[in-house]
Amino acid sequence: MNNLNQKIDPQQWAPAKVDAGEAEFIAAPSLTFWQDVRSRLWQNRPAMFSLAFIILLVAAAIFGPMISRHTYFDQDLKLSNIPPILQLYEVQNEGQAATYFFLNSGNFKLYETTEDGELKSILRAKRKDLINKRHIYEFGERRIFVDYSTLPARIVDADENAIDAYGTKWNKTYWFGTDSLGRDVLVRQLYGARISLTVAFIATLVNFFIGIFYGGVAGYFGGNVDNIMMRIVEVIATIPLTLYVILMMVVLQSGFISIIVAIGTVFWVDMARIVRGQMLTLKNQDYVDAAKTMGASTWHILTRHLLPNSIGPILVTLTLLIPSAIFIESFMSFIGLGVSVPMASWGTLTSEAVETLRSYPYQLFFPAAAISLTMFAFNFLGDGLRDALDPRLRK
Amino acid sequence: MLAYFAKRIGMMVVTLFLIITLTFFLMHAIPGGPFTSEKMLAPEIEEALNAKYGLNDPLWVQYLNYLKGIITLDLGPSFKYPGIRVNDLILDGLPVTAKTGFLALLCVAALGIPLGILAALNQNKWQDTAVMMLATVGVAIPSYVVATVALYIFALQLNLVPTFGLDDWRGYILPVAALSGFWLSFIARLSRSSLLEVLGQDYIVTAKAKGLHPLSILFKHGLRNALIPIVTVLGPVVANLLTGSFVIEQIFALPGIGRHFVLSISNRDYTTIMGITIFYAAFLMVMILIVDILYMLLDPRIKLADRNK
Amino acid sequence: MTAIDLKDLTISYSSVPVVHGANFSVADGESFALVGESGSGKSTILKAISGLNDEWTGEIKLFGEKIDPKNRTDISRITQMVFQDPYGSLHPRKTVDTILNEPLAIHGIKDDGTRVLEMLSAVGLDKRYRFRYPHQMSGGQRQRVAIARALMIKPKLLLLDEPTSALDVSVQAEILNLLKKLRKEQNLTFLLVTHDLPVASFLCDRLAVMKGGEIVEIASREQMTKGELKAEYSNELLGVHAQKLGA
Repeated sequence: MNNLNQKIDPQQWAPAKVDAGEAEFIAAPSLTFWQDVRSRLWQNRPAMFSLAFIILLVAAAIFGPMISRHTYFDQDLKLSNIPPILQLYEVQNEGQAATYFFLNSGNFKLYETTEDGELKSILRAKRKDLINKRHIYEFGERRIFVDYSTLPARIVDADENAIDAYGTKWNKTYWFGTDSLGRDVLVRQLYGARISLTVAFIATLVNFFIGIFYGGVAGYFGGNVDNIMMRIVEVIATIPLTLYVILMMVVLQSGFISIIVAIGTVFWVDMARIVRGQMLTLKNQDYVDAAKTMGASTWHILTRHLLPNSIGPILVTLTLLIPSAIFIESFMSFIGLGVSVPMASWGTLTSEAVETLRSYPYQLFFPAAAISLTMFAFNFLGDGLRDALDPRLRK
Repeated sequence: MLAYFAKRIGMMVVTLFLIITLTFFLMHAIPGGPFTSEKMLAPEIEEALNAKYGLNDPLWVQYLNYLKGIITLDLGPSFKYPGIRVNDLILDGLPVTAKTGFLALLCVAALGIPLGILAALNQNKWQDTAVMMLATVGVAIPSYVVATVALYIFALQLNLVPTFGLDDWRGYILPVAALSGFWLSFIARLSRSSLLEVLGQDYIVTAKAKGLHPLSILFKHGLRNALIPIVTVLGPVVANLLTGSFVIEQIFALPGIGRHFVLSISNRDYTTIMGITIFYAAFLMVMILIVDILYMLLDPRIKLADRNK
Repeated sequence: MTAIDLKDLTISYSSVPVVHGANFSVADGESFALVGESGSGKSTILKAISGLNDEWTGEIKLFGEKIDPKNRTDISRITQMVFQDPYGSLHPRKTVDTILNEPLAIHGIKDDGTRVLEMLSAVGLDKRYRFRYPHQMSGGQRQRVAIARALMIKPKLLLLDEPTSALDVSVQAEILNLLKKLRKEQNLTFLLVTHDLPVASFLCDRLAVMKGGEIVEIASREQMTKGELKAEYSNELLGVHAQKLGA
């Protein structure tokens, strides 16, 4: 409190020197707009991981089926419903190499494998004792019983001792196991990726061109043009897109092309709305007027000024529309309207897996994980882009 | 306000009309009638059947007849099961679908909005992070994946709920959860961001400076404005709950309208497909209208704008 | 030769008349100001002349030719505009070089960069600003770029819409001096809109006072500085201004 009476040196009231250089000092280091966006996106870890995941997925989808020794339609009914992780048992017969096999708990059958986990063939039981609920297998001198009177099924030897497992190995023949028709799940997953991703990308591209053009015209010209165009959009948008797609699919018959047509026909409305909104905001900016006074044509203004400035929201919407498209395609396939058998879409894989859910739950895991992770990835990427493009968050 | 109302109803009727027309002509674009497919019918019988169902009449006559039927709320017979009328199919499935749908909507609103508010009020604290993480997960995973996985875990493995059927209330848990999952997360996120934006506005800060009690600020000022974008989005949410119900009913074997719909699709039962589509469309539009009215009540700017015209 | 000739000009926005029956002429090489409060219709007249608003009746002649608002290319060769907001009138994502090249590109004038450098130095900007972005420059520097851009295709008439209102007081003086210098060097005609009387008296030979969309009085600079304005409103405006300056 004593400080209040302190005299302040008049010198301290002298006007500060104006340094012309300082007056024009810019606070943050100069970055172009896109450099700034890129650095912010880079710092966003989830978004970067998502981007990496997507790139990997696309690469796997393109090259995976090429280098795999299985195709998506080859069936081996004897080797159906084999899980990806095998618990191997070993049987030693004197003077002979050891035999390895595993138990498929879904159907209580034994399959022979190599020590490493490569499948050899299904084994035939010597006898099936249905009353006591056991299958009897013979390996040279040894007798092995598969006892399924109590669940889970056990493997016992002739003395009723449970045999210890030799080890757990990854299924080297079919990395993700096989489905109910003996097809390789992994390759079918990758095919599913191809289909889902292709549908998504094409639908999004269609979206891009139709939606941007439509929204751009409506927003830029405003007035009656805008009114009519937006009324049409409203009518289309009132009904959920899924319903439209279902109707179209019924008419067009299932198939890869049909679903792209169906999605592309109605999917553009969201993008159109966003672009129109952008146009309405931007067209009143001074630099548009400036361009007009310079004598720029409408085309020039649209393509050189307005659209480039809308790239932000357009990009974000695009990235968020992709999971939507993936979802619709898999949904359609799931209810039986999408791609047809034996083509593998993630949706058909899911619906097939549901049928065998009780016994072979792993078959559901892969398509479920695939769809979820992919949609996650795109969502994170979209969110990250949106945050990176928002100038208010600039530090 | 009345003018706005009338305009909306007018739009509704026009849209519905367009949809009916579209559906009608789409269905008739498919080659072959319902009786020409598998069954090896004697030509005279096929003729008689076609005549009975008016399939030999010129297209526009059939169209008018159909329209007439709709106005009298008669959606015609099912082509697959000629003895049954589409109306009956709808009424048969209605209770189940309505109950599940309503419960799902309740979940979305009664859980989603409060969760969003909780997150907004505790921004960046653990409540916020927890809600946001759950919501992000919920938004990314498709409903049918959730449904099937949940079915596996809770019904098959843990036996907590029945795998199918609605014998008791527990049968509702999984379907409602799977159906509402995505939208709940969506609404939670929306509520959070909407409330945060409203709370950051100057007029809220002014209210605080004036010394108003925080709860009063929240309810009188904050929520009312924050709810506006949420209500706007409720229309599409109902729409999507509807389409989501197809697959949920399929997975959980619930005897609702969705199940009939999916069945009629695989059976290529065109009248049923048409009828249910139109029913859905009409229902949706009524819902959107209700949402619009709610929106008008919440946002006085719309009422005023009309008055100035 | 008159640069601008307005006869019975009535301008509307969406069918609502905003300017009523404006009449005045500006001689070639003259500097003319439109002064008045916000909303008096001053900027509207500029927009009509530049072709930004085509909802008007009456006659607008530039250098003896009637203008056709639909033909913006022709109009833009004669007259260019400098806008009020230096932050908005430059495209945020383009470099100064691109911004300055745009008018040349639109009119198909080939240039290897000499004109750009010429204009940059004419407005007092060092050539290191050539590849900067608007957000890397101050308000004053941006306005200089805007002026340079307006002069790129050598118009004879410059329309200025409150060119200094959005700038810091210290910077305003620099820009006004620059404008005065450029006008002399390139023999330009100015039509300046401002609500700031000292700006008008510094830069212009004659002025028109506007109120509610109508021209209340046309006077010369001397008349204003000597306080010899006739209309009551003009004197009110002057009085208010004097009050502001603490006279």
